[in-house]
Amino acid sequence: MNARSTLQRLVALVRARRLDRDLDDEIAAHLEMAERDLVAQGLSPDAARREARRQFGGLPSMREAHRDDRSARWIEHLVHDARHGLAALWREPLFTAVAVGVLAVGIGANTAMFSLVDGVLLKPLPFPAPDRIVRVWETPSTTASNSTTTATFLELKRQSRSFDALSAESLSTATVDVQGEPVRLTGRFVSADHFAVFGVTPVVGRTFRPEEDADGAEPVVILSHAAWITHFGGAPGLIGEMVRLDGLPHRVIGVLPAGAFDKDRARPLDEPAAFWRLNAFTETEIRQSAHWLNPVGRLKPGVTLEQARADVTAIRGRIAADIPAWKQHWGVTVEPFGQILVGDRLRQALYIALGAVVLVLLIAAANITNLLLTRASARRKEIAVRAALGASRARIAAQLLTESLLLGLLGGTAGVALAALLVRAAVPFLPAPFTADITLDARVLAFAVAVTLAVSALVGTLPALRLAHGPATAALQAASRGSTGAHDRTRRSIVAAEVALSVVLLAGGFLLFTSLARLQRVDVGTRLDDVVTMSVDVPRYRYPDGAAIAAFYPALVARVQAVPGVVAASMSGDVPLEGTGGENLQMPGRSDRLLVRFKRIDAHYLDALGMRLAAGRGFAATDRHGAPHVVVVNEALAARLRQRFGLTEVLGQAVDLPWLGFGPDRRVLMTVVGVVANERVRNDLRAPLDDVAYVPIEQHPRLQVKLSVFAPGRAAAIVPSVREAVRQVEPAIALADVRTMRQIWSGSLSGLREPVWLVGAFAVVSALLAALGLYGVVSHTVAQRRREIGIRVALGATSQSVVSDVVRHTATVAGLGVGAGLAAAAALSRIMTNLLFEVSALEPRAYVFAGLVMTCLAVAAAVGPARRAARVDPVTALRAEG
Amino acid sequence: MSNTDMSIDDTPRTELLTGTLDLLVLKTLDTMGPLHGYGIARRIEQMAAGLLRLSQGSIYPALIRLEQRGWIKASWGLSDTNRRVKIYALTRTGTSRLRVEVATWEQSTALVARVLGARS
Repeated sequence: MNARSTLQRLVALVRARRLDRDLDDEIAAHLEMAERDLVAQGLSPDAARREARRQFGGLPSMREAHRDDRSARWIEHLVHDARHGLAALWREPLFTAVAVGVLAVGIGANTAMFSLVDGVLLKPLPFPAPDRIVRVWETPSTTASNSTTTATFLELKRQSRSFDALSAESLSTATVDVQGEPVRLTGRFVSADHFAVFGVTPVVGRTFRPEEDADGAEPVVILSHAAWITHFGGAPGLIGEMVRLDGLPHRVIGVLPAGAFDKDRARPLDEPAAFWRLNAFTETEIRQSAHWLNPVGRLKPGVTLEQARADVTAIRGRIAADIPAWKQHWGVTVEPFGQILVGDRLRQALYIALGAVVLVLLIAAANITNLLLTRASARRKEIAVRAALGASRARIAAQLLTESLLLGLLGGTAGVALAALLVRAAVPFLPAPFTADITLDARVLAFAVAVTLAVSALVGTLPALRLAHGPATAALQAASRGSTGAHDRTRRSIVAAEVALSVVLLAGGFLLFTSLARLQRVDVGTRLDDVVTMSVDVPRYRYPDGAAIAAFYPALVARVQAVPGVVAASMSGDVPLEGTGGENLQMPGRSDRLLVRFKRIDAHYLDALGMRLAAGRGFAATDRHGAPHVVVVNEALAARLRQRFGLTEVLGQAVDLPWLGFGPDRRVLMTVVGVVANERVRNDLRAPLDDVAYVPIEQHPRLQVKLSVFAPGRAAAIVPSVREAVRQVEPAIALADVRTMRQIWSGSLSGLREPVWLVGAFAVVSALLAALGLYGVVSHTVAQRRREIGIRVALGATSQSVVSDVVRHTATVAGLGVGAGLAAAAALSRIMTNLLFEVSALEPRAYVFAGLVMTCLAVAAAVGPARRAARVDPVTALRAEG
Repeated sequence: MSNTDMSIDDTPRTELLTGTLDLLVLKTLDTMGPLHGYGIARRIEQMAAGLLRLSQGSIYPALIRLEQRGWIKASWGLSDTNRRVKIYALTRTGTSRLRVEVATWEQSTALVARVLGARS
């Protein structure tokens, strides 16, 4: 059909009514002329009318032919095929339900997974020109990155030529007075051009002015939309008003648009920022060498990452003279912001889960292909008859493809519904960055449609080709005899492939679950149950110096310990698993440095967290400001000190550490008085053990502190009483970050637990699908071979030998699949190495497990059909198709 | 019985081969010039001289088919009885197409005739 007539036919389809009317006119004129001629030949008017009608022939069939010839046949065929296909599917509800269900699982899981990958990895960040947003890191080594110092940042900002804007970001918490009630909010210290970096402008009010981050300028603050609504009732009059942050008045100058940085996400560990205030660096801060700033910048248009890196590296070279010798070899680098938001591990986990779910879809598609092939062989006769009656191969193939497309569309629709459910259920638990936008949007739906069409084509093509191209007569004969050798081979290969893919998923799932189990067994070194922790940031305006802060801690702890049900309460700089800052430890008289975690704890920490004392003593109430400086080390640090400095006894040894909290930082000698069991101070349980130096919090006071409360059996229930106790001691304190140790621990597994469960679920689904596929093929083979089995039974074969024959047949197929699957799994498992923990990618047990599971499933799938084979009655079997 | 009642006339009559009607319509229009449907049908019947079993109505699907292929074109005109009728005429593509179709037809009939001749 050429383009012109196709077009005309489409037009005709649209103008059907007019064309019908025209045709009626023509017929009427035709009959009139015929009648007239017949009357002229001598017929009576009545006879002439009848004769004209007779000569004209059947009107309805002519009209039908007329319509047929003028309109787009393929559309009508499509409609016809669709109707026919639906009827065919309706006639086999079990087949249809299984096929649609399997497709829905496959397409649904893929759509949900894609929406995740798209939302987290593929969609650009929700900022203008997001690829120009970068983060600047110092790099102590090629694998480590670190924040930068005030001095370095200021030099970068002053000298660099690569950035349109460069802002120093650091975490800032503040207690805000909301109608007489203190509320602790998390925010950021930033530079005045911070929002120029992200291209975000306040929806109410204005952004920061360049002069506002100078030392001595009036403090100003910008609020997030969520904080504005939640804590200030969304009052527009708030702009220009003063709000006290930690007692210090700040003028509110703007509110960011909703969703700019505060996407709602139930994430306990990383609260979105509620406010932004400016870093007005003091002289002291500039002199100090604390690495506390995370610069984030917007590259000038056309500046590449390499150019920016060269720029900052050159600047760092120029200021090298001001940098302490031990940090001379550090580098500086520039990385895309988006890459930092999504950790390597999350990225990898997402891709692995996506890969797993694609395998599930392939298995699902293979199953449907086999079902269609089975169905096709049942319909060979029907198709052969149609072919003999003149239907072209293309027509038959088109009809079969239409049927698979119908199946695909039904499955796809159900799949999208399933995906919507999955996404809604899963999103709150995902460790995704704030920029992630995980929804079933047009992109995801387009993906679902593409997958549906691809799967429909994939599952439909083979059966359609098979049927449409088989020689009609051969098919007619073969169908009556029931020998379908080539057919069976295809189906067996497909099932073997399904088994192989399942083995890959099962082995991978086993490796991941083993990793998760080992990670969960990691000894944290502290009590996890019955402990609740919270931030109790001390307001500076109430406790202006170190001595006042240090004196406050024991007073608060004493009051909390008096709460009924509390067994122990402790004040510390950080709680386990939530991170602790690093400092350098030196031995007197030696220049080499040891980076250690520097953790402030009080006399009750070991009791409250249930930590074991290995040697010496813990801190006592007497280890306070003015008393001799003391330090407790963990076993890892004790071992390191012995090995590194050749010490035989760590206790009593003097070490050189910073003295923080009382005036300008300086280094002092401290005596090691105790050794405690290793505590996991970092969030990452895979990381090697850290060397930790514990110092008395009263000798190193700070404002941001944590309260840990050990209350057996009622850790969660005790929070209100603790809150009341804190209020009695200091009403200006707002409790925040209230979490049990168990919650914190559970959060530290995040990022592995989710992909593990995903891959595990996919592995189970795929194994079941593969078993279903095996069952289908074995059942079909048994049904096909009834005659042969009947003959064998007639010749004296026992039912046992029939059963074992069927099982052996299945085992051969499964065995091939398992073999191929094991090889593929061994080749593929390497890509997961980064996610694995204390288990080799080639751990034999994973492969034995996967092989055994699939073999057992194969045997289980063969049992039913084998029993049926054993029951074959030779007489009926031979008669049935003979 | 009237002699116009062809169905009980015992002269053997031929069913048209598929596609042949198109050829006959084209040829008719070529010979007779623009004509309405009834005219075409009558002309074919006359030429076949009772040897052809043709329902006159079957001309219309053929006409729309040829029109959509662009081989003939239709326009509204008036019949002898002053009735509005569609008048069909060959287009230029139709004229050249007719030549091709005729050549093909002659070739294939010659072939069939030769085969049949060889057998007998």
